[in-house]
Amino acid sequence: MTEFMFALAIGILFGIGVFQLLRRDLIKAAIGFAILFSAINLFFVAAGAFEGEAPPYLSNVLAGRATSDPLVQALILTAIVVSFGSFSLVLGIVNIISKRYDTVDSNDVTNLKH
Amino acid sequence: MPLAFIAAAPFCLALLLTLPQTRAQLSKTAQTLLSSALMAGLFAWLVSSFPLVQAEGAVIQSLEWMPALGISLSFYLDGLSLLFGLIITGIGALIFFFAGYYFDDAAEYNRFMVWLAGFAGAMLALVLSGNLLMLFIAWELTSVTSFLLIGFKGAKEKSARAGAFKALFVTSGGALALIIGLVMLGAAAGQLIAPGTGGFVAELDVVLGLESLHEHVWFPLFSFLILLGCFTKSAQFPFHFWLPGAMSAPTPASAYLHSATMVKAGIYLVARLSPAMYKNELWTNALLSIGLLTMLVGAVFAIRQTDLKGLLAYATVSKLGAIMALLGLPGQAGLKAALVGIIAHALYKSALFMVAGTIDHVAHTRQISRLGGLRKELPALFWVTVISALSMAGMPFLMGFVAKETLLDALLHYSPWAELVMLVTLASAALTALAAYMLIGDVFLGRRRSELQIHLPPSPIYYGPALLAFCSLVMGFLLEPLVIPLLRLAVPKSFVLPLFAGFNEVFWMSMGVLVAGALLYRVRKPLIQRISLPVSGDAVFDELIRYIDWAGSALLSFQSGYVRYYLVWILGSVSLMLIASGILPAMTAGQTLFPQDLSVTATDLAKIFMLALAVAAAALTVVLREHVKAAIAYGVIGYAIGVIFLINHAPDVALVQLLVETMATVLVIIMLGQIRPGARLKVIRNLWDGRHDNHVGLLRDLGISIVIGLAVFVFSLIALQNRPERRSIAQWHLENTSLVNSEDAVGAIVADFRGTDTLLEIAVFTTAALGVLTLLASGRADGSSVKKAPGDSPEQAAQAGEAIQDATSLSTPFTRLVTNFVLPVAILIGIAQILYGGAGPGDGFTAGVTIGLAVSLWYVVLGYDEARRQLPWFRPAHFVRLGLVIGIVNALFPILLGKGFTGHVQFDKALGIYDLVSAFGLHITSSLIFEIAIAVTVMGGLGLIIEAIAYPQSRATVDEGLSAVGGKS
Repeated sequence: MTEFMFALAIGILFGIGVFQLLRRDLIKAAIGFAILFSAINLFFVAAGAFEGEAPPYLSNVLAGRATSDPLVQALILTAIVVSFGSFSLVLGIVNIISKRYDTVDSNDVTNLKH
Repeated sequence: MPLAFIAAAPFCLALLLTLPQTRAQLSKTAQTLLSSALMAGLFAWLVSSFPLVQAEGAVIQSLEWMPALGISLSFYLDGLSLLFGLIITGIGALIFFFAGYYFDDAAEYNRFMVWLAGFAGAMLALVLSGNLLMLFIAWELTSVTSFLLIGFKGAKEKSARAGAFKALFVTSGGALALIIGLVMLGAAAGQLIAPGTGGFVAELDVVLGLESLHEHVWFPLFSFLILLGCFTKSAQFPFHFWLPGAMSAPTPASAYLHSATMVKAGIYLVARLSPAMYKNELWTNALLSIGLLTMLVGAVFAIRQTDLKGLLAYATVSKLGAIMALLGLPGQAGLKAALVGIIAHALYKSALFMVAGTIDHVAHTRQISRLGGLRKELPALFWVTVISALSMAGMPFLMGFVAKETLLDALLHYSPWAELVMLVTLASAALTALAAYMLIGDVFLGRRRSELQIHLPPSPIYYGPALLAFCSLVMGFLLEPLVIPLLRLAVPKSFVLPLFAGFNEVFWMSMGVLVAGALLYRVRKPLIQRISLPVSGDAVFDELIRYIDWAGSALLSFQSGYVRYYLVWILGSVSLMLIASGILPAMTAGQTLFPQDLSVTATDLAKIFMLALAVAAAALTVVLREHVKAAIAYGVIGYAIGVIFLINHAPDVALVQLLVETMATVLVIIMLGQIRPGARLKVIRNLWDGRHDNHVGLLRDLGISIVIGLAVFVFSLIALQNRPERRSIAQWHLENTSLVNSEDAVGAIVADFRGTDTLLEIAVFTTAALGVLTLLASGRADGSSVKKAPGDSPEQAAQAGEAIQDATSLSTPFTRLVTNFVLPVAILIGIAQILYGGAGPGDGFTAGVTIGLAVSLWYVVLGYDEARRQLPWFRPAHFVRLGLVIGIVNALFPILLGKGFTGHVQFDKALGIYDLVSAFGLHITSSLIFEIAIAVTVMGGLGLIIEAIAYPQSRATVDEGLSAVGGKS
């Protein structure tokens, strides 16, 4: 049941992210970009090999409790920071565009056309 | 001494020359002396290894690299490699010296020498490599450095760019064939050594020892591909045309790459593989026929040239063809003649190129028709040219004479279809003699053109060519002590090499050629005008490029210029991939998509609630028109997901998520303050004013995103329902966490098990931060061209959603107090997270983000200038540098202990303080140091981003950041 709900949420978040990217508003597009990252991280945590009832600490393992999957967590941990880096790069680009073209409407940015 | 040092030394020289300190402190003369002394030292080193090669036959030194792929870093020095190594280092020393006086501008010289030294390293690696794949890598490196050298003057001259492109296009096209050929050869060798295992053998000594390789069924195919690579590299017909185009390189590069060394790489590889291949007639006949054709074509083209370097280039093509033909004689009968030819050619052609370069330097032209009568002004150059050109023509008893005698002798006695071959050879030789006479007669003798202005060069420019001419002069008399012992190492059969073999038929042919050349010289002008060619290689090449351009234009018509449409293509393809790889197979396997078991626990309910919250907040980011509100809604998504992580028993991730999400939201809001409210208002109006085309666009975007969202939903559902259970490597990580003295398995994976990955991740993060910095810096640099934005009316600003316009307006006594209080607490929390991260949530990442957040608060509350003044120690660029250096050193250090990259080291045990520190719950290990490195890097990266985004008007940060970029490169 939770898997279904996770998949549904991931799908909706992804759809919303893409929708934002497709719109002309560059600020909203940047937010959409970040929503895509969130959706992907959500997928990762849901896709762990197993679920548990305790954090993946050694003491929990020794006590015989089922812990959550540490590998996906390690992957997400670094992914969050790196996706923040890319997000700030996107914000930087939006900032530059707004300075150079005095607009945040992607239709007004025509110099990229060959 | 390891052979790897010989190949590495020129690369080190190149690195040394790029250092700003070198450029600032060493004069051009000092750099020249250093460079050529290094090459001379390598030459001496190779000479001193002669007895070793004599004793062992081949010196092989091997380092394991990628054993699973059959790639090793192995070095191989036998007679053939030694001969080429001596040419590369010996001629190199002279050319490096010459270049110091050829260039007037020190900065230009430095830039040139970096590439030239890099080329020398690549070329040495090529001839010293004992593994075919490593040889290929070096081969490509020579192509790349050659491209850079040919295009050296590309900023000013279109012909330089065109020549460089042509050379790269042809040689790397050939290299594509070569790599396929070499891989097939390696696979064939693997089949012969261990049939049925699919093994791959690229070690030179093993491949050359195979007796039956030439009978393998793949032989025709891989020998064709390898020869294609060698022919393109060594400018054989019909690929010869790139070499004259490459003459737009500065002359030292032409002299070195395009006559003495790189163009001989193809010849080297053919000679290198010859022991395993020569028994197959396909191989020898291809070499002989293409070589002879190239020899003739090159000689004919040479005399038609009006450019001095063009003449030399085609003469080189001709000679390369002759050597290729010699290698194609049955039973390796031409090997001795080929090697003698290589030595003689390297001596006279490099000298002639340097002469051409000097004339260009002196008279500012290389057009033969504009030159003449230079003998009086440039007597030294005249004599160098006389000796070298006569050596090229084959005058007794110069080194070129020996080469020509052995060439004619080998072709006459061992070639199939000897009559035809001799006809072609003698014709080419006569034309080469004519070209040599033209070099002397048309440039130095005759009347001096009155318009020619001459300024005399510094005399050291003559040293190199003079020494080479001297070698051409005396080498013939030193065959016994110098040349023959070297050749004996490279030629398996016994042979004799006299300077003068008596008045036999070969001698008379050789004399006849010289006389014929002299007779042709009398009638050269009408003769040259008669020669015309139906089609040139250049025209064919240009036609090919035109078709490629046309195909490119056709593709370009897909480029609408709207980024959205590109996204549709990209995401559409991704959706198709999802459907093909995940959804369709699962559907056909009868997967049920909808859950059968609808029972939920309390935790599940909590998760579902948080998911619903995230989705609702995401929907709000669309619906809320004002950007600030949308940004806050976005923050809610992040927090909701953070809580989900927490419920899923992932406290470390939850902590990072909550911190980073806060940071991201702050960043968006700060950035909104940088954008003119009017601009933001305009886009909101454009999108929401209910015009018809907006409705169409809305429906289109909705349709696309629903399709993509649906594909992602179905794919993730299938993926989540088919999880790998406990077989995953995750279990291994859990069980082995104790090995690295950690309590937290996630921390152990990040800082230890997957340490290399994390190191790269923080490097990526840093790169992104530097990207933000450079973006905003460049935006600032041409900011003057930006039109001044018209002022906004207050209502507009209010409607657009007021952002933080002036950061200092947030500065109240209360906020200042909070700010002052937060930073030390954040630092303490950060330190605690690093030290005790192994025992609970928190690690280097969270520590870095925590401190970064606290610092960004200072910037937001106090404003840039105030924050900088009060936090003088917060220098983001320094932190980034420091963190990366600690991380890399910490990762490299275990190698010294024999543990491999990012191995685990227990410093506390090694220092005998284990009991002491563990009383405080601490473990001083390499993981701890790595956590510190992560924290410092992330903190620095965040600092760079926040300073750049929040305060792009600050030049200081930007400059500091840029110098950090420069410092690392």
